[in-house]
Amino acid sequence: MSKYLWKIGGEAGFGIMTTGHTLSKIICRRGYHVYDWAQYPSLIRGGHNTYDVVFSDETVTGLKWLIDCLVCLNKETFDLHKSRLSSESLVVYDKDDFDFDGNHIKINIPINKILKDLNGEMIMRNTIALGASLALMGGDLIEFNDMIKTQFGRKGEKVVESNLRFALEGFTFVKKNYADKIKPLLECKECDKKLVLSGNEAFSLGSIIADCRLYAAYPMTPATSVQTVLSSWQKKTGIISRHAEDEIAVINTAIGSAFAGARSSVGTSGGGFALMVEAISFAGAAEIPLVIFLSQRPGPATGIPTWTEQGDLLFAVHAGHGEFQKIVLSPGDVEEMVELTLEAYNLADVYQLPVIIMSDMLLSEAHQCLKENRMDEMIKTYSVNKGKTIDTVSQGKYLRYKDTEDGISPKLIPGTKDSYYLANSYEHDELGRSTEDSNVRIKQVNKRARKISTYLKNDFALPKIYGDINTSEIVFVSWGSPKGAILEVIKEMKKKDINSALIHFTHIYPLAKEEIKKLFVSGKRYILVENNSEAQFGKLLLAETGIEIKEKILKYDGRPFWPEEILEKLT
Amino acid sequence: MATIQDFNGVNPTWCSGCGNHGIGIALKLALTQMNLDPSQIAMVFGIGCSGNMADFINVYALHSLHGRAIPNAIGIKLANHKLPVFVIAGDGDTYGEGGNHFLHACRGNHDIKLITHCNSLYGLTTGQTAPTSQKGFRSKSTPEGSVEIALNPLIIALYSGATFIAQAYAGDTPQIIEILKKGIEHKGFVLINILQPCVTFNKINTYQYYKDKVYKLPADYDKTNFDEAIKKANELSAERYPLGVIYETNKPTFTDQLSQLQEKALIDKERFTDFSDLIKEFI
Repeated sequence: MSKYLWKIGGEAGFGIMTTGHTLSKIICRRGYHVYDWAQYPSLIRGGHNTYDVVFSDETVTGLKWLIDCLVCLNKETFDLHKSRLSSESLVVYDKDDFDFDGNHIKINIPINKILKDLNGEMIMRNTIALGASLALMGGDLIEFNDMIKTQFGRKGEKVVESNLRFALEGFTFVKKNYADKIKPLLECKECDKKLVLSGNEAFSLGSIIADCRLYAAYPMTPATSVQTVLSSWQKKTGIISRHAEDEIAVINTAIGSAFAGARSSVGTSGGGFALMVEAISFAGAAEIPLVIFLSQRPGPATGIPTWTEQGDLLFAVHAGHGEFQKIVLSPGDVEEMVELTLEAYNLADVYQLPVIIMSDMLLSEAHQCLKENRMDEMIKTYSVNKGKTIDTVSQGKYLRYKDTEDGISPKLIPGTKDSYYLANSYEHDELGRSTEDSNVRIKQVNKRARKISTYLKNDFALPKIYGDINTSEIVFVSWGSPKGAILEVIKEMKKKDINSALIHFTHIYPLAKEEIKKLFVSGKRYILVENNSEAQFGKLLLAETGIEIKEKILKYDGRPFWPEEILEKLT
Repeated sequence: MATIQDFNGVNPTWCSGCGNHGIGIALKLALTQMNLDPSQIAMVFGIGCSGNMADFINVYALHSLHGRAIPNAIGIKLANHKLPVFVIAGDGDTYGEGGNHFLHACRGNHDIKLITHCNSLYGLTTGQTAPTSQKGFRSKSTPEGSVEIALNPLIIALYSGATFIAQAYAGDTPQIIEILKKGIEHKGFVLINILQPCVTFNKINTYQYYKDKVYKLPADYDKTNFDEAIKKANELSAERYPLGVIYETNKPTFTDQLSQLQEKALIDKERFTDFSDLIKEFI
């Protein structure tokens, strides 16, 4: 089947988010693939919220422009999105709220009347609308009812009963009055169990699997839900989720705990990350392992807080005064988020440096499905690698910053008997003591730099290639969340017999120049796709490898890429 | 058993006559007398003359950034709450650059011993005005005299929830040792504000200045009386400096109140592996 887009809209604060997420889970449980995304303003009440749920029986990796079913809990929803409707589109609404002209299929449901007759609360309009939607898409209420019971169970029998009733009212109203409009889209299919996961949830899960012991954060959209999830898991998993007074304290707390031997990470968005920058340099100098989750939103300054952009790449790559080492990773979907999160904690420990995981609002908050057996496989094949971390000292004086061939010095857990050392933000000798000696300085700078040569040799991963570069007319080059939209584009082009490919970078800094250069052959049409205005990865690629990509598709209105708009730009 | 020599790092580079010498020796003596050895202690050092002690003392140490020693120490404590954790920093570092961290560390009653070397100016950058400088203090950064009034760290700590607040004087090493030992025994956030003449740059707060203005709290002083402690702390604004433990109360520390840490230190816990219990939330 081709992709189907169900979209709901209404006033902020009235349950739109929960409703969309519930539908995504229902769809996944019924055997389909889903990709969803919520759009909301930076306020709690009064604004306009919408939620897109795209699904198909094939893998879905991106959004869809044309709306197949628009659920309007207010008139604004219709007005704002009518340009994305066709004559085939269903519009679910209540004539009591508003009516409209336009060549679309009207599904008029007396939501307000049902609500009033049965003494319901405003928030339950969603339940009626979702019941009606499930009927229109040829589903049933089995999963929805289950979810109502789990979701509202602790609110008591009465709340559960009334929600079940409202779901049924919406559902049966469609069955009775719009039977001819029902399409068999959600018939139950046999399939592997799937998780419905956002990027933030994937990072949270990955952190627990990687044995992260301390996560520190200060709330900031769109990274906040990592803190919410990990805080809620403290009792179960034993992790400490520390909400410190500001981002400076956040990262310095994590540096302290990492120094003491606990795997530690922090999470934030651009503004908070800016406050952390001095300490990133500290972690670099003192060689403290640390994972930094940076979920980008459109800047500069406060920017557009609840929307999306990839505007912090060069800032992240260059974050920190002085010259020191860091690794920057960039997942493009939730599966890669789990993979790279697991890897990030190992890299931080092995190379004793800060590792930044770049996300953005789209990747952080959009849900995708991930097969449970793939998740299990990632768990099974993972081993916690703490590199040269030691908890005993062999003969001789322990040298924290021992000058080694691979640049990596054994790192002793503080508290180990019969030893001690100084981890130092000043330039230091092998013992850790402050120094201004020119030879020692050069030695330590070179030692730290060798860690990166070792990384490039042992752990750097070349970009993933989707499609066949050799036979492709067009080769997209990208990093992070645009991956999903580009993969949809490649699929669409294939239907038109045009071969295209994607070079998707996940290990974005540092880059292995010679190997990357081999992917760029002359006479081929390479197109850089980035969700920013300055083609930041293009600049980084040019600086690090000498490769310049002239053709660019850039977007910086705070919205992510729709596959349709990339396709349009190609012609 | 460790001796003071075991704690000796490289020779201090402080100016001759600097109050830091006395504080440094007092600290090593207090640790020795408490039967601690260098491997059983974590210290975080700020940036400034006092922070340079990082090289002069043997312990598990982190020489931090200016102002950030407190959150580093909180992190160490969260990771391994069985390790005694100290912060050694100056007044500019603690009350200026790191003022926000100081405030919130008091609130959390984190089990950290904060030893502030309070010389009322910025020594390492050659003598600029500090948050604890008296109003009107003339320096390179305030040639016409500082406009702000002096910050009172004792009052801030008292009102913010610190559970052990003391003041000492660099000219009286035996008393520093005595207070340090009490502070080390205390469970919770400890502030020991040590008044310290800077012989090179501070021409106001000299040994002579303090000689006339410091006094020891009487033996019958009730350190558990909060209102009395506020009165004593308030004397700073009249340039009277009580020495001794000004306030002490026993309350659960931050880590005492984390259910995750009831049995083992965070770094000593078994890895959590029941991932299926988490995964089911997403199906």
